[in-house]
Amino acid sequence: MEDFLIELAPPLIRGILLGGLYVVIALGLSLVFGVMKLINVAHGDLVILGSYFAYAAMGWLGIDPFLSLVVGVPLFFAFGFFVQKFIINRTFRISLDAALIACFGISVVVQSLCQVIWTPFSRSLTTPYQLRSFAVGELTISVRYLLDFIGGLAVMIALREFLRRTYLGKAISAASQNEPVAERMGINPNRVYSFAFAIAMACAAVAGVLQGLTFYFSPVSGPPFLIISFGVIIIGGLGSMAGTFIGGMIFGLTQTLGAHLSGGSMMVQMLAPYLLVFVVLSVRPQGIFGR
Amino acid sequence: MKIPRLTTLASLAVLVVLALFPVIGIPLSWLNYLFTFFICLALANMWNLLAGYTGLICLCPHAFVGLAGYTLAIGSWVGVPFQAGLIAGAAVAALFALLISFPVFRMRGIYFAIGTLILPEALKAWFNYWRPVGNVYQGMGAGYSVTGVEGVTLGDTFWLGLAIAAASIFLVHIILRARLGLGLTAIRDNENTAASAGVNVFRLKLYSFLIAAFIMGIAGAAYYIYSPRINPVGGFNISWLLLPLMATVIGGEGLEEGPIIGAAIVTFLRFLLADYGAWSLFIQGIILLVVVVVMPQGIAGLLRQVGAYRFPLRLFQAVEGRIHENVK
Repeated sequence: MEDFLIELAPPLIRGILLGGLYVVIALGLSLVFGVMKLINVAHGDLVILGSYFAYAAMGWLGIDPFLSLVVGVPLFFAFGFFVQKFIINRTFRISLDAALIACFGISVVVQSLCQVIWTPFSRSLTTPYQLRSFAVGELTISVRYLLDFIGGLAVMIALREFLRRTYLGKAISAASQNEPVAERMGINPNRVYSFAFAIAMACAAVAGVLQGLTFYFSPVSGPPFLIISFGVIIIGGLGSMAGTFIGGMIFGLTQTLGAHLSGGSMMVQMLAPYLLVFVVLSVRPQGIFGR
Repeated sequence: MKIPRLTTLASLAVLVVLALFPVIGIPLSWLNYLFTFFICLALANMWNLLAGYTGLICLCPHAFVGLAGYTLAIGSWVGVPFQAGLIAGAAVAALFALLISFPVFRMRGIYFAIGTLILPEALKAWFNYWRPVGNVYQGMGAGYSVTGVEGVTLGDTFWLGLAIAAASIFLVHIILRARLGLGLTAIRDNENTAASAGVNVFRLKLYSFLIAAFIMGIAGAAYYIYSPRINPVGGFNISWLLLPLMATVIGGEGLEEGPIIGAAIVTFLRFLLADYGAWSLFIQGIILLVVVVVMPQGIAGLLRQVGAYRFPLRLFQAVEGRIHENVK
């Protein structure tokens, strides 16, 4: 029994740290979902686009992936703003389904663009510190998983302060709580949507770097991240930062513990998060903390 | 004697001419194009039945296609003839639809879309690590080849595809003119109102879901008779969702002729851009975005708006009138 518990410790730590990555991805999705009640189906692919951007910056300029974010975050922000303004806002006026299909179109375009530019081969952001690990007592902790956790915490706190302290942040919170009232108070919903999507894209750029340091990626590895981050939102609930954080941890743990308890089976590691999302969705379709 | 409508006769004539194609020595490449068109048309018609008439944005056609294809392939390994495998594949797809209907119909709108998107991803993960029959060279990531279809000619698969596509059009036509169609459109327009007006929402949704799964499954299995090799990445590929979705949206969602126009355009684009690899998908995605933003009703909607059908319909009516007079 004691051996079992000791063996359980590494996947536990790894799962919690990995959760940070899912938190960053889910925060972007959650922001758009909160204000528009629309799931951006392209979010996973946009995260992968972020990974490729860092990969390209490393290749051309030879800079660290985190340094590439200095350019990447503003670029993604602007890109998101215009995508929302010119594509999604227009379709959103027609119907939610049309906007969903537009997001799907964006997902196809981003995926095929990555495939054209960077070929379908698997890549990773190879850095000197990526594969290092250090020991804490009897545990060894990989640097990349630790970076995921720190990144997740940092983005979460930054976003939380932004939503609480700035006018724009308050407008976004207001629009996601009750849009008709927010509109009557002089908040322009289309502008709020555009900024929400732009911030979601900036989150995707950060998530892309963390993701690229943690896993191998190819143009088609986006959809699993979409599903997992959707699961995080469902478990964590909208608008609750702590909930999102816990949701991320739960998904990280499902993956690492599932793999550990099944004796390292890849099938379980891949299937476990999907099953969890599906079961939660079918038991409580509007989410555990859903309104 | 009741004289059949001219529109019915015209569609029958088109069907007969198409059916004669393999006999009169049409170039084989044409048969290839048309077969792809038929499969795309059958999928698009069923996607239109779900999204356009029932209001279910179902993102899991690739689950049905992959399951049917795998049933056909694995069946052929244990000695099931492909004809039986075709039906069995469609039946397995419908059975899968029945199993998932209870959880997924609890979800609505956007939740339903994501809920169905999970299923093919999960199935792909499952089939990637599963080997029910065969040795180390088959199963898992490598997939299976369909055996026992060596004697099937391109003409045979062409007829199969034509039959499936014609059946899908006929089925949607019948459903829309029956009580089922009325109930489905009521659900699409407002689920709660439909329920309070006495529509059994769950049962009607289930019917359309089962029909769509069966036809999509049989279309997928037919494709794997034509191209007898299936692996998890190919069978559960998202392009099986993309084809019907694009065909329906570009052609016109919720319009009977929409999928026909859309499927023709999508198939044409596919062969036109076949040499450009990933660029092909990129251009298709851009077209999808342009259509959604500029003409949300699709091409068929645009045609209806400008009254493009008015002249041919009037012509048909005039000719019908003449025939009636002569018969009297």
